[in-house]
Amino acid sequence: MIKNIGKSILFMFILFLLIAGISCLLLPWRAVKKYGILYTANYPILSEEENTIDAVVVGDSLVYSGINPMVVWDKYGYTMYDCALAGQIPIISYETIQESINSQHPKVIFLESDVLFRNPKNIPIDTIKLWLTNRYIPIINYHDNWKKYLFNFLNNDKKFTKFDFYKGYHLIKKIKPAPKSRYNYMEYSKEYLPIVDENIEYFNKIVKLCEKNEVKLVLISIPNLKLWNYKKHNSISDLANKYNLEFIDFNLDNLLKINWQIDVKDGGGHLNFRGAYKVSDYLGNYLKDSGLVKDHRKDKKYQSWNESYKIYTS
Amino acid sequence: MTYFGIKYIFIFLPIVIILYSLMSKKLKPIILLCASLGLIFYISKWLIIYVLLSFLSIYLAGLLLQKIDSKRDLICEGKEREERKKIKGKYKRYKKIILIITIIFNVSFLFYFKYLGFFAKIANRLFVIFKINLSFEIVKFIAPIGISYYTLKAISYIVDVYNEKISAEKNILKVCLYLTFFPSIMEGPIARYTDVKDRIYAGNKVTYNNLCFGYQRILFGMFKKYVIADRLNIFVKLAFQNYMLYSGVTSLVGAIFYTIMLYMEFSGTMDVVIGSAEIFDIILPENFRQPFFSKNISEFWSRWHITLGTWLKDYIFYPVSLSKPVKMLTNFNKKVFGHRFASIIMGGIALFFVWSLNGLWHGAGLTFLFFGYYHFALIFLGNIFEPIIAKICEILNINRQNKIYVFFRIIKTTILVFIGELFFRAPRLLYGFGMIKKIVTDFNVAAFKNEVFALGMDIKDFAIVALALIFILVISILKEKGKNIREDISKKPIYVRWTLYYALILAIIVFGAYGAGYLPVDPIYVDF
Amino acid sequence: MEKLIEILKELQPEVDYETCENLVDGRYLDSLTILSLISEIEDEFDVVIPTVEIIPANFNSAKKIWELIQRLEEE
Repeated sequence: MIKNIGKSILFMFILFLLIAGISCLLLPWRAVKKYGILYTANYPILSEEENTIDAVVVGDSLVYSGINPMVVWDKYGYTMYDCALAGQIPIISYETIQESINSQHPKVIFLESDVLFRNPKNIPIDTIKLWLTNRYIPIINYHDNWKKYLFNFLNNDKKFTKFDFYKGYHLIKKIKPAPKSRYNYMEYSKEYLPIVDENIEYFNKIVKLCEKNEVKLVLISIPNLKLWNYKKHNSISDLANKYNLEFIDFNLDNLLKINWQIDVKDGGGHLNFRGAYKVSDYLGNYLKDSGLVKDHRKDKKYQSWNESYKIYTS
Repeated sequence: MTYFGIKYIFIFLPIVIILYSLMSKKLKPIILLCASLGLIFYISKWLIIYVLLSFLSIYLAGLLLQKIDSKRDLICEGKEREERKKIKGKYKRYKKIILIITIIFNVSFLFYFKYLGFFAKIANRLFVIFKINLSFEIVKFIAPIGISYYTLKAISYIVDVYNEKISAEKNILKVCLYLTFFPSIMEGPIARYTDVKDRIYAGNKVTYNNLCFGYQRILFGMFKKYVIADRLNIFVKLAFQNYMLYSGVTSLVGAIFYTIMLYMEFSGTMDVVIGSAEIFDIILPENFRQPFFSKNISEFWSRWHITLGTWLKDYIFYPVSLSKPVKMLTNFNKKVFGHRFASIIMGGIALFFVWSLNGLWHGAGLTFLFFGYYHFALIFLGNIFEPIIAKICEILNINRQNKIYVFFRIIKTTILVFIGELFFRAPRLLYGFGMIKKIVTDFNVAAFKNEVFALGMDIKDFAIVALALIFILVISILKEKGKNIREDISKKPIYVRWTLYYALILAIIVFGAYGAGYLPVDPIYVDF
Repeated sequence: MEKLIEILKELQPEVDYETCENLVDGRYLDSLTILSLISEIEDEFDVVIPTVEIIPANFNSAKKIWELIQRLEEE
C-alpha cells in the first residue's frame, strides 16, 4: 500500500517536471529564461527584446482580433503589441500595463474601453477557467506551439521563431455577416452607462501610472456592433474629458467604413483580418501623426520584425 | 458533462472512487448507484423519471414472470409429458402478454422522445400529398440521457427472464444499477445482464492495479479523441457542409476522415467507459474488435459496435427468422426453390428487420434509414453471391486464404464502409448522393493542395494525424494477432512503462487538438 | 451424430467438425449458416430449437450441437 502511494507520488512528481520542461520549450523562450514559465505565459510581451515596442494595445478579445501589429509594421515600421486577454477586466489591464511599461517603456498605450464596462464580480465561468489555466498551467494555452518546432521540413518556408510572430494578434479569416437589423446600434442617446467604482479606481491607477512614466494613454473603441452603443460612448467620452485623454471611438459614424457583411467574423462581435486591417492602418497613421515614434524598418536592431513579417505573410 | 471532459475524468470519477473506497463492501454498490442517478439527474434533470419508470417496469415484470414460472413448475410436477406440454403452453400465453406489455411500455417512451417528430413530419407530408387538411405540430423533445441504450438493456433483461435464460433479480437496487450504471449510461456498451450480474453489485475493492489499468485505458481513449478525432472535426464539418464548393477530392478525403473520426471518437469513448468501470472491478463487454480488418461487411458489423450488433442478432434476427410465419414461408420455399435459396430468403427477411431497426436506432431520418438499407443490401447480396464467388475462385484456382486475396477483401470492405459512413454523416440524403457524384465525376487531384490544406488543417496537422494513426494501427495489428498488449506492458520494467505513460500524457497535452482554433467533436453516439 | 456432420459438411465444407471447437467464435458458421443449420436440424430430427438456445456455447462444436439436439428431443 505505502509502496504504491510512494510510486504514485513519484509518478506525479516526474510528470510535473516533464510538463514544466515541455512548457519551457513551448513558451516564448527568451522570457522563460528570465521571468519563469508562469510569468511569461501571462505577459507574452516579455518575450520581446527590451525597450523595442513603440505602442501597446491593452484590452480583451476585441483587441487580439481587431488589431494586427504586422500591418502597422509593414506600412509604417512601428512596433506594436497586443496585450490582450479574453474577458479582461481593469485590474488585469492595470497589471498588464505595469509589466509592459517596466519591460518596454512604450511611447503610447491604447486601452480598449469596453474593458471598463465589465463587472469584475460577474465574470463568466469560462473566462475564469481561461485565466486560471493561463496562470497555472499555461501549456494548455500554448501547446500548439509545437508547430513551430516539428516537421519544419514539410514546409521549409516557415522558420522557427522564439517569440510570437503575430505579436499578440490572433489571425481570423472567418467571415460571418452581421444581421442588418443591428446596423443602427449607434443610435443617438443622451443617457450614460454607469461604470462600477472598482473599475474607475483601477482606471485612475492606470492614468497615474502612465503619467508617471510619461506614456501617452489613448482610449479606443474597436468596432463592435454587438456590445457597443451610444450610452457607452457617452460614458467614455465623459471619462476622457475628465482625465484630459484622447478617445477614438471607431464605432461613431462608422469611422473606418467597416463593412458589416465581410469584415466581421461572428456576426459583428469581433473583426476578422479585413476589419483588423482597417483598424490597424488607422492606428499606424495615428502614431505617425503623433510624431512620437520612429520608422524602424531599416534598423538592424529590429531585424526580427522583418523576419516575423516574412513568416506572417508566408 | 461528457466522458472526455475535465469534469468527468478529473472531478466526478475521482470523487466517486474515493467515496466508493471509503464505504463498506455492502454500501459500495450504493455509491455507484447514487453516482449513476446523480449523473443522470445532473444531465437530464426531471426526465430521470422516465429512466426510473423503465427500470421499475422491468423489475416488476421480471418478478412476475418468475412467479408464473415457479407456479407452472409446481403444477407440472409429476404430470405426464403430454399434459406438461399443455400446461406449459397455457402459462406461456400469460407470460407472453406480460412480456409484450412491458416491451411496449418501454418502447413507447423511446418512440415518444425520438421518433414522434419524424413520423409526424412524414404524416404531414402525406397529408399535403393527399390534400387532407390536417397537420401535426412538430415538437422536438429532449430525451432522457441514454434512452436508446438503457431501453435496449431493459428489453434484453425482460426477454431473457421470459426465456428463462436468467432468473429475475430480487434486489431492486441491483436491477437499477444494471440499467443506469454511470459509465455506460450515455453511449453504451449495451451490456447484457448475464455479462455484469456477478460483478456489478459485488462491491469489490478498488485495487491499485485496477486503478492503474482503468486510468491507462482512459488515457488511451483521450489520445484517440483529442489527438485524432478533434483534429479532423473542422475539416469534416466543412467538407460535408459545403461539398459543392470543392472538388471530389475533398469529398473523398472528408468521407475517409469522417470514418476515422467516428471510429476514434466512439472507440475512444468506449475506452473511457470500460476503463472507468474497470476501476470498480466491473468488466463491461467490448464494443470494438479491430473493425478495419474485416473481410466483408457482415464481419465488419461483428467487430464494430458489437453490443448493438449482437443485441439485434439475438432479439431481432433469430426471433424473426424463427417466427412461425417466416418458418412457414421457408418450408414452402424449400419445396419450390431448394434449401440454399430458402434459407437466404429467411435470413433476408430477418436481415431487413435488423437493418431497418439499426438505421432507425441511429436516428429518425432518411440518411440513417438509407444507411441501414445500404448495409442490408450489401450483406444480402454478399449472401447470394458468396457461393458463386467461391465457385469462381475454385475454377481460377485462387486460394481464398491467400494473404493478397484477403488484403484485397479488407480494402474492399473498408471502401464500402467509407461510402456507408458518408451517407451516415451527410446532413441530407441528397448531399450524400451529391458527394458521391462529385467523387466520381469531379475528381481533380490538382485541387488537393489548394483545397485540402485550406480546410482548417495544415500540413503539420496531417503529419500528426498520420503518425497517431500509425501508432493505433500497430496496436491494432498486435491485438489482431492475439497479443494482450496491456498484460505485456505490465510485465515490462518500470522505466519502460513509465516512459510510455509519460509519452502518452504529454502527447495528449501537446498534440491534442484543443483550445483556440480547434473545434472539439461533440459526443456523436450520445444523440443516438 | 453422423447425420448432423453430414448436414454441417453440406453447409460449410471447409471445416473439420471432429476437432473444431470454435465454430461460432471462429466465424466458421455465420448467422445465416446457423439459420440454415437450424432449419435442417428441425426437419431432420423433428425438434424445435427455441431462440434462447441459439448461443455460441451451443453451436461451437458438432458435439455441442449434438448434445443440444438430444436435450431437446428428451423434452
